[in-house]
Amino acid sequence: MASTSQDTVSSKTQENDDLEPGACPESILNPADTFEEFASEMSSSLQERNVLCTKSSTISEIQSEIAESIAEIKMRATKSSDDLQSKDESMSASASSSNLLEQDGDETDDEKDNYLQSPELVNKEKHVFILSSAGKPIYSRYGNEDKLAGLCGVIQALVSVVEEQNQDILRSITTKDCKAVFLVKGPLILVAVSKSNESETQLVLQLTYAFNQIVSVLTLTQLNRIFEQRRNYDLRRLLSGAERLIDHLLIFMEKDPAFLLGAVRCLPLPEKARENITNAITSTCNKIRDLVFAIMIAGNQLITLVRMKKYTLHPSDIHLLFNLVRSSESFKTAESWTPICLPKFDATGFLHGHVSYISEDCQACLLLLTVQRDAFFPLSQAKHTIADKMRRSNCLIAINEALNRNENLPTTNPLKHIAIPEIRHFMYKCKSTAQLFTSDPISLDRLQDYRLRHKEGGDICVKKIEKLSDIDYVRNYREFVSKIHCTSTPAKLIFRSNSNDTVLAWVTNGFELYVTFDPLMEKDQAIKAVDRLLRWIKNEEQRIFIMNAPTF
Amino acid sequence: MSSRKKVLLKVIILGDSGVGKTSLMNQFVNKKFSNQYKATIGADFLTKEVIVDDRIVTMQIWDTAGQERFQSLGVAFYRGADCCVLVFDVTAPNTFKSLESWRDEFLIQASPRDPDNFPFVILGNKVDLDNRAVSAKRAQQWCQSKNDIPYFETSAKEAVNVELAFQTIARNALAQETEAELYNEFPDQIKLNANDNSRNRDGDNCAC
Repeated sequence: MASTSQDTVSSKTQENDDLEPGACPESILNPADTFEEFASEMSSSLQERNVLCTKSSTISEIQSEIAESIAEIKMRATKSSDDLQSKDESMSASASSSNLLEQDGDETDDEKDNYLQSPELVNKEKHVFILSSAGKPIYSRYGNEDKLAGLCGVIQALVSVVEEQNQDILRSITTKDCKAVFLVKGPLILVAVSKSNESETQLVLQLTYAFNQIVSVLTLTQLNRIFEQRRNYDLRRLLSGAERLIDHLLIFMEKDPAFLLGAVRCLPLPEKARENITNAITSTCNKIRDLVFAIMIAGNQLITLVRMKKYTLHPSDIHLLFNLVRSSESFKTAESWTPICLPKFDATGFLHGHVSYISEDCQACLLLLTVQRDAFFPLSQAKHTIADKMRRSNCLIAINEALNRNENLPTTNPLKHIAIPEIRHFMYKCKSTAQLFTSDPISLDRLQDYRLRHKEGGDICVKKIEKLSDIDYVRNYREFVSKIHCTSTPAKLIFRSNSNDTVLAWVTNGFELYVTFDPLMEKDQAIKAVDRLLRWIKNEEQRIFIMNAPTF
Repeated sequence: MSSRKKVLLKVIILGDSGVGKTSLMNQFVNKKFSNQYKATIGADFLTKEVIVDDRIVTMQIWDTAGQERFQSLGVAFYRGADCCVLVFDVTAPNTFKSLESWRDEFLIQASPRDPDNFPFVILGNKVDLDNRAVSAKRAQQWCQSKNDIPYFETSAKEAVNVELAFQTIARNALAQETEAELYNEFPDQIKLNANDNSRNRDGDNCAC
């Protein structure tokens, strides 16, 4: 049977502690670990939650700097002293729902609950509901939220009874086969009801992402102001059209390990090609004063990110940009000018983004984000210059080869290239740069597939899958990730071997690595293989990671 | 203008225990009546779609417990309501006298932005019974004294005026809602120029 060992790192692995493939001194991404953040969110008390974090606006900061054109302000690295309250009072409030859900069993009650039993709603692996603190429905992943007004009332009542009478926070309700996780964020209540193997923290993380998606459309300032003015506001009016973004985000989060690990996946490119792309951007944009970020992405992967000195982006903000681009077909046909709020960067205001695809024959998308409201034309001009420069230096071909997964590239099918037959799958995160690489990157089309399949159902699937893909492996890694990131007793190394497979999860100061081997592997054998794997990643690091942090 | 598509109204029903709150709701939503009395524990939630002036409106009806020992929801319950329905029993004068305190309680707990114009509706229920003790005139006078709250005499048992009453409830709540749209349809742009202090100019002078 399964043998789980949580050994101290063996002597063999210790040698590798200083090997950190992908690490570089400066990072374009803010590597603050989202996972720990959410774990701390979950242990925050009611009082702490009510204290509104009054963070000054980054956007106005940039603007005032530009306006005054002051020279260099020495940046103080204000390391947030993560006061993780790992008091681990993992409360599970026992709100007596019987009060509210009391069923009399007569006909009328049966009738009113019929909708909850309809095929649109039953047997789903995960539901997500968003409602206002008044109990008005805003979003339901499945079904018609209008018809779920009754359910929303019950949710609101559960949350507020625990809050008001017990001066406590309702975090989750666990039944035999189902977890309901609650998150109160500002004027909204978000709930996930899940039968998946995701942990409470992972579900809270997804709900926070859904909240951030709403903030990204409205800004936190506007969201709070609306409900301060009218607590009965029906937020669907302002979000019409944005439900689609939440739909896509929820699917995206279930499938892509980037969310699980709080990291960003880069499009593997030859070092020279990436350098040329970056140079095309910097040489074109270094005169545009208000430009904060220039980001090029393709298929949920980062190609390059050029930033205003001293500002970095958080992976979760980049994920929202990925999601925006993936969910908006209209960007493909026209240059767009759109307000975008990046909640981690500055939740209080909008950046303005020029969004467009590089050309018809290259599916890379360029986002130029500025604080200037009327910069469309200069940025449009810049985009065309960048595209021309890229074409001349053959960058479009390099991008297309990577996107089309050209068989000759070592990164297209890494497992074949590494030639360690026992390894079935791996995912690697470089912690200092918050970047990720997996052995079987989800291609654009496949994610599309899952989306279509999901539209039809999202039902719990009992069917045995013949060939496991990235997505299935990620599903299996979830429990390992939550053990590694457990705030009370974090594991450093997990080795589990059974007749299905062998999984090794390993975290050091520099990286996180999850590997699936053939069944019944010996520990030494696995460690040797991991050794070789890390050397391969190190060899390819220039290609699979962004190893510098360019600025304008 | 896609925002005109869906409207959801949160309607709260309050009143002493046994006046017929749940029965009225059942008559309105399910077209059914039962003589049996079952106390509501905490709250019941029902929804019904109605059409008001060509708009489809979903009414989210929060039926509350009248018995004090089951009134556990308080502030949370009233928060963000669009309309409040106060019910009394025309055969029980005490339940009529309580209206005043139910109304005050609601205004305190819900603290709506404009309490004077918050839409209430009063229902005098059980008019099918013979032993009437509160006259229509007395009820109407009280309603007039409270900024002209609409008053209906209903029978949940015989479905008298129930439909009409709820129609009025939806219409009055909707009127408030559309007024609100004027404020929120065009949220002011976030001023991005740091030198532009216009935010002080248009805020701050609101008299309320």
